[in-house]
Amino acid sequence: MPEPAKLELLTRNPGAPGFHLEELQSSQAHRQFRPQRLPNDAWEVTPQPHGPDGTRTYILKNLRHDRYLLLSAREYFLWESFDGSHSLEEIARSFHFEFGAFDYSAIRQLLAKMYQAGLLIEPAQLALQQSRATSKDNLAALRLSSVSKYWRRLTFTVPNADRFCSTLYRYGGFALFHRLTLALSIALAIFAAIAAISLSERTKQFAQIISGNPWQSTFIMLGSLLAVSMLHVLTHALACKAYNRRVREIGFFLLQGVLPTFYADVTDIFMSTRRARVVVDFAGPMVEVVLGSAAFLAAYQSAPGIGQATLFGIGVLLWEGALINLYPFNLLELDGYNIVADLLAMPTLRQQALALAPNLPRRLLTMRTIQRAEWIQIGYLALCFVSLLAYVILHLDAIAAIMPGWKR
Amino acid sequence: MEAISSFLSQVTLFQDLDAEALSTLAPFLTSKRFSAGSVIFRELEESDALYIVEQGSVVVSKQVREDVDIVLTRFHSKDFFGEMGLFDTAPRSATANVEVDTLLWRLDRSVFHDIFSYHPDIAAKICYRLVTIFIERLRATNEQARDAIRWGLEATGYSPAGTKALFGRKST
Repeated sequence: MPEPAKLELLTRNPGAPGFHLEELQSSQAHRQFRPQRLPNDAWEVTPQPHGPDGTRTYILKNLRHDRYLLLSAREYFLWESFDGSHSLEEIARSFHFEFGAFDYSAIRQLLAKMYQAGLLIEPAQLALQQSRATSKDNLAALRLSSVSKYWRRLTFTVPNADRFCSTLYRYGGFALFHRLTLALSIALAIFAAIAAISLSERTKQFAQIISGNPWQSTFIMLGSLLAVSMLHVLTHALACKAYNRRVREIGFFLLQGVLPTFYADVTDIFMSTRRARVVVDFAGPMVEVVLGSAAFLAAYQSAPGIGQATLFGIGVLLWEGALINLYPFNLLELDGYNIVADLLAMPTLRQQALALAPNLPRRLLTMRTIQRAEWIQIGYLALCFVSLLAYVILHLDAIAAIMPGWKR
Repeated sequence: MEAISSFLSQVTLFQDLDAEALSTLAPFLTSKRFSAGSVIFRELEESDALYIVEQGSVVVSKQVREDVDIVLTRFHSKDFFGEMGLFDTAPRSATANVEVDTLLWRLDRSVFHDIFSYHPDIAAKICYRLVTIFIERLRATNEQARDAIRWGLEATGYSPAGTKALFGRKST
């Protein structure tokens, strides 16, 4: 860590001869710094439900830049103190009275987050240019990094997503969120399940028909999956509009930097209730359930042949898709995970659990000190591990087919 | 006069001049004593001379607020300052404050012009050295600007956070 930067100041007393010199370290000035948040009409804060350890988190939204921060109760206390009239030294003192301890790094981290979200009035707009060292000797690494950069750039967003969704919602989208629609969807799923069970006797026959027409079947099934996944995210977005919240983006990106996926950015739903969040989470997979049900019923009504087999295949794919999406313990932030995180009031459960993982053996040695929230994170990790293991075991045949040498 | 020449030979600005040239130069300079706390020249005053410190210490500062200056640099024995005044008629860019009792030698702009006219070889050597010193001082100014920005960032707790600091949910 470099020495704190220093400034030397020269001050004069009016009317008196001479001057006074004073060296001022940045750390000294930092303690006297009075952070000032944006005016009240530029931000919005929504308390979240109490978490398992009884504490509360807050979502802070910058209304000017449409940026969000998740604050812990302690960070929220600091945020409330950032009114421009209290120095960091005073804030630290009152924090100590409130919580019994204080670490300046907490303030540093929060200030960094606040600057990132543009929530503080900056004393000076400083544009910093990052210098990037490049080495000709490290061409391979540079190429790899540029490939990775281009791969990560494989994203697109729909312009004016919020306006687009508002229009869709106004002109019929609202009907999707009526109680009657839910009742009809459940009834449809029940009939579809009965139809699927009765058709399941002919599964082998369907598989043979499909494998007899591989290109046609694959094209139709993949096309259906693609269309349904677009409808899935659109329904998430419409659900967000049902609660009068903003859809920040709709688009395509690489989930965890790897998996190509459509998405709807519904962060603004955190400014609403927990129930609203769960509805938004559920709305997407319901598309697969309803369209999968329709495919099963259509297959049931169809004459035997390639059409019936393909419809049955699409039904299976969509229901399986809904199931995977709703299953929370796969280390991905899919809808099921979001539902669990929302119900537990732990919006960063996965990140917390992954951060805990490297320290898990040490934490388990001091089991008595483990908090309830940490137990939940451990439970989440354990269920993910078991689920992934079960998935691998269930697919051993497929693995053996890919790696023939492995079987020996 | 010999004592002055001997002192001038130790000043970086005149390091390219031989003994004869220094003896020629010495009569052009005038000395002046300043007491601690006094001001040699103020920011925005007329700029018309270069100063060489023989004894003492000078603090050069620039006003940032009515009652507060920022210290830019310090000059001690054998250093010189105010060189812009030799070439430029613009007002002084900073204030020179005397930190302890100080003895200075002054080279006026008009006198420097005379040296140019009557001793062009001496003037050329001084100018060449001045250019190299200007470059050094320019580099130091860049460093100072960087340090001042770093100070501001540290004092306000600024640090570039990753995008991970922001909260968001992308439903897939």
